[in-house]
Amino acid sequence: MEERFIIDLWVNNRFGVLNRITGLYSKRGYNIETIHAGPTDVPGVTKIEIVSTGDDYMRTQVISQLEKLYDIRKVDLRTEMTGD
Amino acid sequence: MRLKGATILIEELLRQGVDTVFGYPGGAVLDIYDELYKYSDRIDHVITAHEQGACHAADGYARASGKTGVVIATSGPGATNLVTGIANANLDSVPLVAITGNVSVNALGRDSFQEVDIVGITQPIVKHNFMVRHVQELEQTIKEAFLIANSGRKGPVLIDIPKNVQTDTCEYGIAVVPRMPDKPKLPYVKDKVLEAIRNSTKPFIYCGGGVIAASAEQEVLELSHRLDAPVGLSMMGRTALPDSYDYNLGMCGMHGEYAASKAQSECDLMLAIGVRFSDRATGDLNEYTKKCTVIHIDIDKAEFGKNVDPDFCLQGDVKAILQDLLKDLKGVRHPEWREEITEFKKTKTPDRPGEFCPKNIIEAVRRHMQDSTVVATDVGQHQMWTVQYYDFEQPRTLLTSGGLGTMGYGLGAAIGGCIGSGRKRTVLFTSEGSFGMNLNELCTVVSQDLPITIVVLDNNVLGMVRQWQGIFYEGRYSQTTLNRKTDFAALANAFGAKGYSVATLEELEKVLTETDTGDKGAYLIDCHINQDEKVLPMIPPGKSIKNIILKG
Repeated sequence: MEERFIIDLWVNNRFGVLNRITGLYSKRGYNIETIHAGPTDVPGVTKIEIVSTGDDYMRTQVISQLEKLYDIRKVDLRTEMTGD
Repeated sequence: MRLKGATILIEELLRQGVDTVFGYPGGAVLDIYDELYKYSDRIDHVITAHEQGACHAADGYARASGKTGVVIATSGPGATNLVTGIANANLDSVPLVAITGNVSVNALGRDSFQEVDIVGITQPIVKHNFMVRHVQELEQTIKEAFLIANSGRKGPVLIDIPKNVQTDTCEYGIAVVPRMPDKPKLPYVKDKVLEAIRNSTKPFIYCGGGVIAASAEQEVLELSHRLDAPVGLSMMGRTALPDSYDYNLGMCGMHGEYAASKAQSECDLMLAIGVRFSDRATGDLNEYTKKCTVIHIDIDKAEFGKNVDPDFCLQGDVKAILQDLLKDLKGVRHPEWREEITEFKKTKTPDRPGEFCPKNIIEAVRRHMQDSTVVATDVGQHQMWTVQYYDFEQPRTLLTSGGLGTMGYGLGAAIGGCIGSGRKRTVLFTSEGSFGMNLNELCTVVSQDLPITIVVLDNNVLGMVRQWQGIFYEGRYSQTTLNRKTDFAALANAFGAKGYSVATLEELEKVLTETDTGDKGAYLIDCHINQDEKVLPMIPPGKSIKNIILKG
């Protein structure tokens, strides 16, 4: 079932890290609805929130592929939201 | 010790155990090549005809030797010429470090001469890549690149080094030893797995390139003995077990052996080890695992459930996992299953004694080679015939483009494989289509004095595409009849190798005897075969063993 979900990412703030992340979505044809990035208390670490919609398979794939990226320190699947 | 960037690069390559690099010089890597000149007694640089050839050579070197391959190219076109080779290494999980020069940092982004954003271009086809903007980052970056390329699921890493970073100086020998960041892993729960294995009466082991990457060949063999389980291989898993082992059924999938694909479809338990279930291997996913429980063992968490939903997953180094499982598994016998397998093995493509056909050609070549001979292939029909008919006895003796299917891979790979195996006689099976793509590297074979035997299975057509046109497009052979007039034997002679042209088994045997000169001499044998030769068996794309085509 298609559901909207939020993924929180903690990433090393290096050149191109956002490219790598959005590239994973676009390669598989997954749409990003909202993306938000900002600094954290840890120097050099940025937090990124991504809202998108997809089924279980898509969600699992996105998370496990994101986890593999060298510059990603942590991936969290946050609250799942149904409807608006 | 204060050194300039280019010197730091070479010093660090030496520390990483690199003694051979492949590449092509150019404006943006002049300083690196100046250092290579000074270090030529410690690092061997192999100049190719084209950066793509260098990249495939580094890939072939890595596959044959198990070490990380290194390729160097200049900025702009030098860098973009690496792209196919990098994608090829990525899809087959080959450890490769590609080093490119770039324009100076202050010229970046200004469309300077020979400037491309190679980090951006290669981003979807590398395991990771780096742009080094300050010489102070260089040492650490190289250490990280080698670590990433050769740890976990291996793969290519690119380092882009602007010109000023090569000439700037800084202290060397101060970087910390990096370690791979901790990533979430699946919990390791083996009780249910062991139970499933013990309950099975028709176990089947399916092993892929991950077995070779982890050097787990002995463990797989032991598991097969212990469970009395036949083994099928993916194309990347070919050479994981010797062909002389009677329970090695050969390759599964689209052009696999009937017995291997049939056993895979009839088993009640599939132990899938170091495989990623490519569509060419599985066919129809609904039929593929209908009758069996699937245990998937792999180092890459993202592979579980990507194409096939396993019942159980074990994540980690496959060698360590198999060693652990073997501790808890006693020997069993499954005589009825063995009888079924014996029955499956009876269905074969028929022998054609005396005919000048691919099987007989490949077997004739094999008789003149050693078990340790490295064999490279290009892509297409000849590749499938080699994988089907060549008798492989030792791991890492097959260099073939699995995931990307890169026509033109073979000659570069054969060069790298030959050097990576100590400059021993190496064979390339190719075809006039694939060979035509990168035959320029013949000059490298000759200038490096490499003992490579090139066997061209020459059918005057783009055979694999033609085969599909024949079966699925009602024989409309669009643009696959080449009708080229290239005299490959004369071409080989022109490059400084020795060329032969043969059309019968007797002629071939004579040439093979004449060219059986140990680890000296570069030869090309152009074998003229019939254009209607087919690769069989064939399971049509998206179909199952039920739809297997056995006869042409």
